[in-house]
Amino acid sequence: MKKTVISLLLGLSLLGLGNVWAADSVSISLTPDPTNPPSPQMGDWLKFHSVVGNPGAQAAHGVVAWISLVQVDPGHEQPVDLEDWSAHKAVTEAVLQPGQNVKVEWPIRLIQAGAYRVVISAVDRETGHVMTSPFVDFQVRRKPVVESGRILPVAFGIPALVLGVLAWRRYRGRAS
Amino acid sequence: MNPIALIARKESGELLMSGRGLAWLLALSVIMSALSLLLVSNTELSLLDNAQVVYMVMGTVTALGALLAVVLGSDAVAGEQERGSLMPLLLAPVTPSQFVFGKMGGQVTGWVVMYLLSLPYVWAVGSSGQNLAQSVAYLALFGTPVVLGFGFLGIFLSARLRSVRAALLTSLIILMLLVSPLLLGPSLRQSVIGKVFDAVNPFSAAVNTFDSVVIDSQPLAMQGTRLAVTLVWLVLTAAFAIRSVRKMEI
Repeated sequence: MKKTVISLLLGLSLLGLGNVWAADSVSISLTPDPTNPPSPQMGDWLKFHSVVGNPGAQAAHGVVAWISLVQVDPGHEQPVDLEDWSAHKAVTEAVLQPGQNVKVEWPIRLIQAGAYRVVISAVDRETGHVMTSPFVDFQVRRKPVVESGRILPVAFGIPALVLGVLAWRRYRGRAS
Repeated sequence: MNPIALIARKESGELLMSGRGLAWLLALSVIMSALSLLLVSNTELSLLDNAQVVYMVMGTVTALGALLAVVLGSDAVAGEQERGSLMPLLLAPVTPSQFVFGKMGGQVTGWVVMYLLSLPYVWAVGSSGQNLAQSVAYLALFGTPVVLGFGFLGIFLSARLRSVRAALLTSLIILMLLVSPLLLGPSLRQSVIGKVFDAVNPFSAAVNTFDSVVIDSQPLAMQGTRLAVTLVWLVLTAAFAIRSVRKMEI
């Protein structure tokens, strides 16, 4: 009895897995642009290239591919809201014929320092799971956004200048 | 000389030429410096926050300009009366509108000096250069009608209440109410009341434009309604100020 139940459960789970492990209808590559700065900092632009292709024998319908960014700094792991990073977040293809490839460029502006992992995901109407590209990791160096070298002379210089004008007026008033 | 130019010259002179009069300029520069130093000490800012910092400085400059305007406006009529110099002014061949615009001459000078003084600070905090030129242009375009409108409001209250203290207190309370968007985040203004308040408040129109242009890089074409709100504010307060001065009895 026990054996029968286990066999039944195993069979059911394999049926479920069958759906999860169905062949990908879309292949996605992801490579950084060779002109990307080797050590990017906040404010720089990075470009990534993808080829979304259909390696199968049947057409893929309603293909949507999108870029995702995850911060992977230890203790700060979180998905990144791309609103400020990129205006080009997704592409759609109504039909991807067998053997057809679509080249996509993903430009992103680096907004915050940290370690990041970028990945392109895609779905189509028929396949029951998300297909993903390989990851690309990159590190963004911190850039002081409010530069002390600019602020300090202004912050101390302007009041000193006004004070100087005040003192000069007072001196001139006394002299005359 | 034109009566407007005469009064404006006297007002500007009192504001800028006397040593005591210049103390406000020192106070302004100290406030702006303190704000900038607080910002430089924040190392956790992201690149996006750089635009946020420029936006904050623009809002602060506009609020300080409005503060200067209500103080000067509150003194314009009631102050003259308390010093005993209102009677000669009213007996002189000066129309109410010439009197009001002459008084506004001093405020325009004060605002121009304040604006020029704020430019180094805007440049200093806007290190990423994101929409820096736009910041300078929009601060002038939207800050000017808002600030001068507060000046007219001060003159209106000063002529109506005939007391510097009462006019100043009332003006400051109105100022506090209207600049509240600078203190409240956008999320706190998402209710119906908040949206209506935002739609008619000239200060909201200015800071929302600063936000839209500096942070979101939106064009001038999207700021038409907001610009109209600030201009309506300017025209209405000017009309009320002139009307209240005209109604004054000797």
